[in-house]
This record gives sequence, C-alpha cells and structure tokens, in this order.
Amino acid sequence: MKKQEFQTDLPVMLPVTAKTGEGFNFRLKPWHGLVIVGFCIFSSRLGYAQSDTVQTSSLETLVRWMPLLLQGFIFNLVISVCAMAIGTVVGAALGLGQISLNGWVRKLAWGLTQFFRNSPWLVLLFFAMFLLPFELRLGIFAIPLPDWLKAIIGLSLPVMANVSEIVRGAVTSLPSGQWEAAESLAYTRRQTLWLVILPQCVKRMLPPWMNLYSILTMATVLASIVGVSEVMTLTGQALAAEGGRPELLAPFYSFVLLLFFIYCYPIARWTVYLEKKFAVIN
Amino acid sequence: MIGKIVKGLLGASALCAFTIAAHVAQADVIDDVKAAGVLKVGVKADYKPYGYRDPSGAIIGIEPDLAKDVADKLGVKVEYVPVVSSNRMQFLEQGKIDLMIATMTDKPDRRKVVSIVDPNYYSSGTNVLAPAKYGFKQWEDLRGKPVCGIQGAFYNKKTGQEFGAEIVAFKGTAEAYAALQAGNCVAFVYDDSAIVAKTKDPAWEGYEMPLPTIDDAPWGLAVQLGETNFHNMMGEVITEWHKSGRILELETKWGVANTPFAQAMHEKYK
Repeated sequence: MKKQEFQTDLPVMLPVTAKTGEGFNFRLKPWHGLVIVGFCIFSSRLGYAQSDTVQTSSLETLVRWMPLLLQGFIFNLVISVCAMAIGTVVGAALGLGQISLNGWVRKLAWGLTQFFRNSPWLVLLFFAMFLLPFELRLGIFAIPLPDWLKAIIGLSLPVMANVSEIVRGAVTSLPSGQWEAAESLAYTRRQTLWLVILPQCVKRMLPPWMNLYSILTMATVLASIVGVSEVMTLTGQALAAEGGRPELLAPFYSFVLLLFFIYCYPIARWTVYLEKKFAVIN
Repeated sequence: MIGKIVKGLLGASALCAFTIAAHVAQADVIDDVKAAGVLKVGVKADYKPYGYRDPSGAIIGIEPDLAKDVADKLGVKVEYVPVVSSNRMQFLEQGKIDLMIATMTDKPDRRKVVSIVDPNYYSSGTNVLAPAKYGFKQWEDLRGKPVCGIQGAFYNKKTGQEFGAEIVAFKGTAEAYAALQAGNCVAFVYDDSAIVAKTKDPAWEGYEMPLPTIDDAPWGLAVQLGETNFHNMMGEVITEWHKSGRILELETKWGVANTPFAQAMHEKYK
C-alpha cells in the first residue's frame, strides 16, 4: 500500500510562504572597485584609440583636472551636509507640528509639508536662486547671499518636507501602548514625547533619513544648472578648456559618477545594516 | 540622546548660516570697489581662449587679462566671477559683478538692460561648423534640419526663425561638439573665431565652415545702468587698449590670429 499521509494539492494545506523573490545578496568588495576603475581606464583608452591624433590621452587629461574636480565634489558634499542639517532641524519641527494638539499648527505644518514634498527639487532650486536677493539689506548692513548658499536653502526645502513626513510617520508608527504607559506614569505630553517617544523614533527614522541624505547628495548636481561652481559645472568648464574634445566626455562624466558612487554606496550599505539591526521581526 | 543630536544639528546649521560676512553698502560703484579693494568682473569660464579654467581652477584667457588691466588701473585686486550667457546680465543688474567682459554681442535691446561701453572692444560673427559631406552653401540649406547651439546665444533665435533650422541647445561647447560628431545635428552654430580654430584642428578633418559669416557684430563690455563715472572711465580704458595694441597683443598671447576688427581699431586710434 502506498504511503499517502500529508500529501495534498490543496493550497490551504501547504505551509505559508511569502510570495516575493529572494533578495539578491550581492556585496561589492574592494576588488570590485578595481574592476570598475579598470573599466573606466579601459573606456578612456578606447576613446583615445578612436581619436587617432597625437594629443595627450584622455586619462592623462583627466588626471590633470582631477584635483579641481575633487574640490568641486567636496563643494557638493558641503552643500549636501548643510542642506541636510537645515532641512532636518526645520523638518523635525514641522513633523512635530504635524502631530500638534493645536489644529491650526497641525494644518499649517501639513500644508507646508505637502507643498514642498510634492514639488520638483529643481523647481524649488530655481525659486531659491531667482527669488532670493543676492544680498540681504538690514539697515545699512548688507549680508551677501552667494549662489551656493541659495542652493543650500533651495535644496533644504524638499529635505525639510521629507524629514517632516519621516518624523510624523515614526511617531505614529509607535504602538499606542507607549503613550498609555507614559500617561500612567503621569508624564506630561512634552515629557512623553521627549523622553519616551522620540528616543524610540530615532531608530526608526535613521534608515529613511540616511536614504534621503543619499538622494540629496546625488541631487546636488542640480546646482550646476543654476550656475554654482560644483563638480558638474567644473567638469563642463574643464571639457571646454580642453577644446571640447568629444572623446573626453565619457571619461570625465564617468569620473564624476564614480565619485558619487564611492560616496553613496557605503551609505546605502550602512542603511541596510541599520534597517536589519533595528528590525522588530527578523 | 535626542539632546545630543539636536545640538549637533543646530551647530551644523548655525555654522552654515553664519559663514557669511556683513559689509556696508555705498553709492558709486568706483568708490565701492576702491573701498572693498576688489573689482568683481563677470567673465566666461567655458569659452576658450576668451575665458576658461586652467587645471588649478583659475580663470584665464583674453578677457580675464583685460579685466586685470582695469583692476590695476583702479589699484585694486581682481575677482573673476564665472558667468554664462543666460545669467551675465542679471548678475550685473543685481550688482553681483561690477563689470562684465563676457563675450557679449552688442545689441540694442541689451543696451536697455545694461550700460554697454563704447567703443567696442572686440568683434566676431556667426557661422556654422558642419561636415563637408553635407555641402551646405547658404544658411537656407539648414531649413528643417537639427542644428546644435549653445543655450542663451543670441544667434540661436535668428538661425531658428529666419533660416528655419531646429535648434538643439546645449549647456557647454563640449556637449555640442560631441553631439555634432555623433550626428545628432548637421551643424553647430557658433562664433566664427572659434570655428576657424576648429577647422584647423586635425581631429576635425572633414569639417568645414561653409557659410558666409553673418551678424559680424561687435562685443560690448558693460557696467550697471546709471554708473556714469565708471562708464566713462571704461570708455577711456578701451580706447587705450586699441591705441596701444593691447588687444592684438593678447590675441597673439592666447593663440588667436589677429582679427580684422582689432587691427582696424588699432589703426583708427593709433
């Protein structure tokens, strides 16, 4: 007689499995970096071979301009850090405003958040560039507002709105038991927020916040469109100074891409690590 | 924990917000410049050899040299502010730069916005760089064809409206040249002086400057509207440049063949 126990075609009898594809567990290792760099060198050699003229090779040209481009990249990082700092401070306040007990504060915070969160970053940047004066006059004093500062302000607006949503989301995602427990211990609302709720929120907010930072860093090149001397602007000017040789376009822009990748990839990995570490269910 | 984070963020924001110095504003731009000790000049940073960057990041070229002359005359330091065609007049209007020497063609409508100084310091015309195989003979041959250009250049409008070409405007010359080589456009409309240099470049064999140069128009350097003193001073400076042959000298220094305009002006004021 055949053994038939536990054999069934009924789906309800089968063990539950999540209907998602398995994650692709690929990690970049240091030697992969060498491969990428090697590829870039190879592509620039290729460009050189195609140009078949006696000019300095693309790679040599790139190396000559590297210090300037790196300076430009550092400027991008300064813009990203400052915009993130301003956006986080204002955004956190806005996020707390969204859960305020005062209806008007709540509506105002909600409106500001929605407005800036759903506007294109470049458009906000243009607004900051062309609506802000080049200097602020306070009586007889004039405080200059250089382009990079305007770019920081322009980019901090969408960051602010996104942080606001991250804060609001984190606070509302906490189990209500936390509020009840705090109330039973006679904590005021402010104490509850400050001592019980927000410390737990930091964990939840950190991964999306870092994600936002990565996105912001990559968005700083938008500032080149409005004339800030950051890495993209300088790349364009370097290419022009080399007489607009088309075979230089690929190596120069690859270099810029590589800079951003090298900076943002570890942030992405770290975010994944933190997400795993803070996950409630593993 | 929260306190620490808040403190750190506030510190960073404060640092960013206050890395700006305050200074006192005044009336006449010459007095302003002398008081500040710096002349801010708007120059191109992507237009070889009139204004471009060297690998150290410094802006060099014919126009920065001219700007340096002005600063020397005022006895102040010079600061080069990189501008592009689309923002140079705004920068001057806003007072972000005191003087603009940025390959700008002298046009009547521009004279309403900024104060362009006579006599003109330079001149160039418009032409196209195109592969010889297309055999363009006149501007009308460009009708309905894609033509690369630079954003903010005045001749885009004329090439587009009068001759019916479809302008594809790029941010920089490198991108435009690449697009031309890749065949995205049949020609690149640009200043004739730059195109002549390209046709002599061995990398651009098979390309020509086939059309008659149009709009041979003078370039004007400009100051803010209403700055009469500075305007008059710049008029004298330009006359002096032509008289002494400074422009011709700079052309030779930066590897440009002496242009008929510069030679004629030198003869006129000598």
